[in-house]
Amino acid sequence: MKMTSQIQQVNRVSQGLLNNNTEQSLSFEFNGKSMTGYAGDTLASALLANGEKLVARSFKYHRPRGIFSAGSEEPNALVELRKGAYQEPNTRATIIELFDGLEAKSQNYRGSLKYDLMAINDRLSPFLSAGFYYKTFMWPKAFWEKLYEPIIRSSAGLGRLSAIEDGDSYDKGFLHCDLLIIGAGPAGLAAALQASRSGAKVLVADEDFLLGGRLNAENHGVAGAAGHEWAASTVAELNSLPNVRIMPRTSIYGSFDHGIYGALERKTDHLASSGGKPRQVLWRIYSKQALLCAGSTERPIAFANNDRPGVMLAGSVRTYVNRYGVTAGQKVAVFTNNDDGWRTAVDLSDKGVEISAIIDTRDKAPLAAPKGAAVMMGGSVINTAGRHGIREITLSNGQKVPTDCLAVSGGWNPNVHLTCHQRGKPEWQDDISAFVPGHALPVGMQVAGAANGTLTLASALAEGHAKASEMVSNIGYTPSNSLAPDSNDESCAVSAFWYVDSGKDRAWLDLQNDVTVKDIKLSHQEGFRSVEHLKRYTTLGMATDQGKTSNVNALAVMADCTGKTIPETGTTIFRPPYTPVAIGALAGRARGKDFRPTRLTPSHRWAEAQGAVFVETGMWLRAQWFPQAGETTWRESVDREVIQTRKSVGICDVTTLGKIDIQGRDAAAFLNKIYANAFAKLPVGKVRYGLMLREDGIAMDDGTTARFSDTHFVMTTTTANAVSVFRHMEFARQCLWPDLDVQLLSATEQFAQYAVAGPNSRKLLQKIVDADYAIDNESFPFMACAEITVCNGIPARLFRISFSGELAYEIAVPARYGDSLFRVLMEAGQEYDVVPYGTEALGVMRIEKGHAAGNELNGQITAQNLGMGRLVSKKKDCIGNKLSERSALNTDNIVELVGFRPVDVTEMLSSGAHFIAIGAEASTENDQGWMSSVCYSPELKMSVGIGFIQNGSQRLGEKVRAVDLVRGKDIEVEITSAHHVDPEGERLRG
Amino acid sequence: MIINHPLLGPRDASEFVYLGDAALMKRPDWQADDAAQQFYEYLYLRDNIAGQHRELWYHEQGDRSWLVVTRNTETHEITAVELARDVATREGHAV
Amino acid sequence: MANYTLTASSPLAGLQQEYQGVTLAEVTNKALVSISVPLGGETALQTAVTATYGVTLPVTGKSSKTSVDNALFAGMSRDQCWLFFETDNIRPVNIITEKLGASGYYTDQSDSWVMLSLAGEKSRDVLERICPINLDPDVFLIGDVARTSMEHMGSIILRESEHNYLLCSARSSANSFVHAIELSIKNVI
Repeated sequence: MKMTSQIQQVNRVSQGLLNNNTEQSLSFEFNGKSMTGYAGDTLASALLANGEKLVARSFKYHRPRGIFSAGSEEPNALVELRKGAYQEPNTRATIIELFDGLEAKSQNYRGSLKYDLMAINDRLSPFLSAGFYYKTFMWPKAFWEKLYEPIIRSSAGLGRLSAIEDGDSYDKGFLHCDLLIIGAGPAGLAAALQASRSGAKVLVADEDFLLGGRLNAENHGVAGAAGHEWAASTVAELNSLPNVRIMPRTSIYGSFDHGIYGALERKTDHLASSGGKPRQVLWRIYSKQALLCAGSTERPIAFANNDRPGVMLAGSVRTYVNRYGVTAGQKVAVFTNNDDGWRTAVDLSDKGVEISAIIDTRDKAPLAAPKGAAVMMGGSVINTAGRHGIREITLSNGQKVPTDCLAVSGGWNPNVHLTCHQRGKPEWQDDISAFVPGHALPVGMQVAGAANGTLTLASALAEGHAKASEMVSNIGYTPSNSLAPDSNDESCAVSAFWYVDSGKDRAWLDLQNDVTVKDIKLSHQEGFRSVEHLKRYTTLGMATDQGKTSNVNALAVMADCTGKTIPETGTTIFRPPYTPVAIGALAGRARGKDFRPTRLTPSHRWAEAQGAVFVETGMWLRAQWFPQAGETTWRESVDREVIQTRKSVGICDVTTLGKIDIQGRDAAAFLNKIYANAFAKLPVGKVRYGLMLREDGIAMDDGTTARFSDTHFVMTTTTANAVSVFRHMEFARQCLWPDLDVQLLSATEQFAQYAVAGPNSRKLLQKIVDADYAIDNESFPFMACAEITVCNGIPARLFRISFSGELAYEIAVPARYGDSLFRVLMEAGQEYDVVPYGTEALGVMRIEKGHAAGNELNGQITAQNLGMGRLVSKKKDCIGNKLSERSALNTDNIVELVGFRPVDVTEMLSSGAHFIAIGAEASTENDQGWMSSVCYSPELKMSVGIGFIQNGSQRLGEKVRAVDLVRGKDIEVEITSAHHVDPEGERLRG
Repeated sequence: MIINHPLLGPRDASEFVYLGDAALMKRPDWQADDAAQQFYEYLYLRDNIAGQHRELWYHEQGDRSWLVVTRNTETHEITAVELARDVATREGHAV
Repeated sequence: MANYTLTASSPLAGLQQEYQGVTLAEVTNKALVSISVPLGGETALQTAVTATYGVTLPVTGKSSKTSVDNALFAGMSRDQCWLFFETDNIRPVNIITEKLGASGYYTDQSDSWVMLSLAGEKSRDVLERICPINLDPDVFLIGDVARTSMEHMGSIILRESEHNYLLCSARSSANSFVHAIELSIKNVI
């Protein structure tokens, strides 16, 4: 070790397991102060090495707090890590790997951490006890939102967001394995060895960056080697096997149905910069079996002022000295109710740390005390002193012992969290005074080692080994005949002891949420008896640590209040995530434009080059209109496109319409069942409009279907319903009529399709259609279709159908020619001043023509409402036929689709307006229907609409009001035919 | 969830679209005397079972097959998966 | 009369990218025709396929290769096989009809998909980020084919050889699909 850093790192007593990493020190900054540590340190171990005790202020009372643990359970040492766009709040110092240049800050204080201005809250604590929100800030009511809440929110709380977009990227992924092993401590490693030797595909995940769990924190031997050495060599062996994948820095955060686990891998969090790679990857793991070896978490004992910096979990104090070579204090006292606490004293003493006292609540010492340590059996710590860190403890016999670190052990709680994610309920096990996994485990999951209540080393190794054998044979592998790694079981006796009566002083249970023993008693007194109520009333167990070090103790206090046992009192079960998962990781790469795919038609690039304005329709981008130089509003562009199309010819990209290829001997019979109107007798070479109903008689979709041969049809659906109609038809084909010979294939992507509309559309098409095909009005009349060729032999399909009401066609070519065809049509159409038109002009022309579209087929509308009641064939069975006959859908007063025009032609109609009789109040009772679509008609030079009004077909010429309360409009309108333009349909047949 | 497709093996439930009670396959005869009543019951009256439930799933991001999945609604345990077409053919509901 | 010429364009203009351990290239020389089995016509179709292509129809999830037209039959569902083959004929259905007659229903899918070859020893690491299918080489064997969803896009994945995969996705979202793969490559390599 270099001398300089040795001087600075006052509490570094050895190299621990950092080994050669101490050749070079890493510098970092905490609250602006420069310090050094080593590779292999956590921020917490480096801070302790540098003698930093005060690292945080508490949530509610702004009490000084220090590092409490050495793992992900940490309630106190939350920091803001990094800067600017990379800043991350609420990061636990105990799991942050130290890197050169690391910068971190304490959070939740004003002024300086040492002299936090908000510490005043601590003096106000009598007013801030459990449920204070509900009591103190009740009156006056108006003050809550304006005054109390903002103040409380700004003074209480955790870290702050940078409010800058996260500069890092995230990713997701999928992993598959035979056996997932969660946790690479002794049980997990023994299991991984056995399973991998048996040939199973094994995935081992551990939240730590150094695998081995407690073996790296203690001094037990395994298989003749030091525990940490055995762990290292085992990991090396596993890493060399092709059937094993080891994932350090990976937290399994949730257990989901059927062996699926959620994992968060921290890819670059231990590096100064992510270097453009995803910082974290959220994995979905598919496992056949999963072995939970998540270990256990130590719990504290509550006593007066037990929250001072320097009061720590005993096992963590031991971890710091063994793994990191760092002592948490110069004079350490141990307060325990179990044998394990004594080993902390022994290990520290072995490293030359002075043990001032061992206080055990039990009567008999389990081990010999280290030299120089005062031992008090049957006693307890009743108070502590020291403003920014512990200085002295008071024992139950009144004796005061100077100490700068108090290591507390109240026993160990198995980490049962993942066993509860599917409603598993932990069960109480008396001999270890802790909850262990219940019987209803997630399917495929077993538990081994400390997580299963097997707290001693040899037993944990054996259990991991045995469970692995059992689980691999469950999935068809022969277990290897190798033996479990050899070790000894250490003593671990515990006597339940939860808290010391603290009199007037506060004894802390939940350090993260500032919940005291008194708060629990108060909430019980106020009637919150259920554990779930208790949790919500006091906020116990909430926030980043989810009560990992507090829940069971609080339950014990509650049990005392009720006079029941702990299992009788209840337990809280855990939900995912086990440890916090950043929203960024859940979003993964689905940010900005990557949120969902974009679908483009073959002519997209051409439209883009024309300066088209695009609209999102589902995932499609469609040209909405094509502005030309000098046009300043969308209406100018759209009006021009409509006028020019109706006057000469226009082209619209309709590629996005759903297209379904239907083939089979029974294709016609099948269509007859799918469509409400008759299809069986549609001649080859013809197209027919089809209306599809849902089984309840409501219109589902409409479109046209063309027949190309006896056994071959091509259906079009609306863009929006392409997927759902296909699904519906597959349902009918497979589930309702499996005896019909019919096959469906989506052909939406296969063809680029363009509407060519307007009086010159035929002339334009004749320029590109090959001479073999006649498309004059007689040879190719309205509603004809054919497979033709264009431009010297390119296959195409031509349909004479019209959405605009003009003489019109739709032409489809294989998508590879789509871009080219559009350009050719534009070129060939120059002599007719051809115009491309977008979805707005398409919409205007269909409203002018009175065609229903998505606004009309809104999931409430029947064929009768559309004026197509007679279309529904009564001579055949079809989906929706029977229930469309229901009387309520067929009264004289149903709404019917008709047209509307403003009486004052300068008025602009609005869709969504409701129809009210002239002179009547605009109320629900007087509602007669609604306007579904409106547009400005360039042909009629006024706003026109279509909509549904009661008995509309019998009321043509009548005047009503279109009342739009949202937009503040109340316009007198005349009921007209829905066909505002060319009502006789002469143009499209021309 | 994972659905063990009879032809494709285990597939993530996210590839599927859920429809509901497999009784939807038993579409009534439109020419029955009480066809209206039967269709009403068929479409609107479903059992809301706590326990074993036969239900329809569509493998939209897969082979486009409709499946009849027997799933315990309390535990999500799936005990049987069949191609709906086979079920429809076998149970003879095709009209 | 028709004085105009149409030119074909592929969805990704013949994209070809090389990275360390993996190459990504658009496949533009393959036609794709789906062959649907008429109800009760399994035997007739099988006979016709064996007679002309010399292979048996694969079950769903498997494929069979033949030297005729360098074709590959991929089992897509119980009543559908998709045939990938090399041709520059713009009417690939005609080729199938000539060979198999009326023993199946044929639909041209050649323009429905963008086809990409992802090849190289890092290909599985790349796919791990987007493909939910278990691609363990002992599980997803050479010749196996699966239809699934990657980044919300319907996709087909076919394992062509030890480390090489053919990926297909909808033509309209070809840019998004290739972006998803390229992003995976960037994230992994």
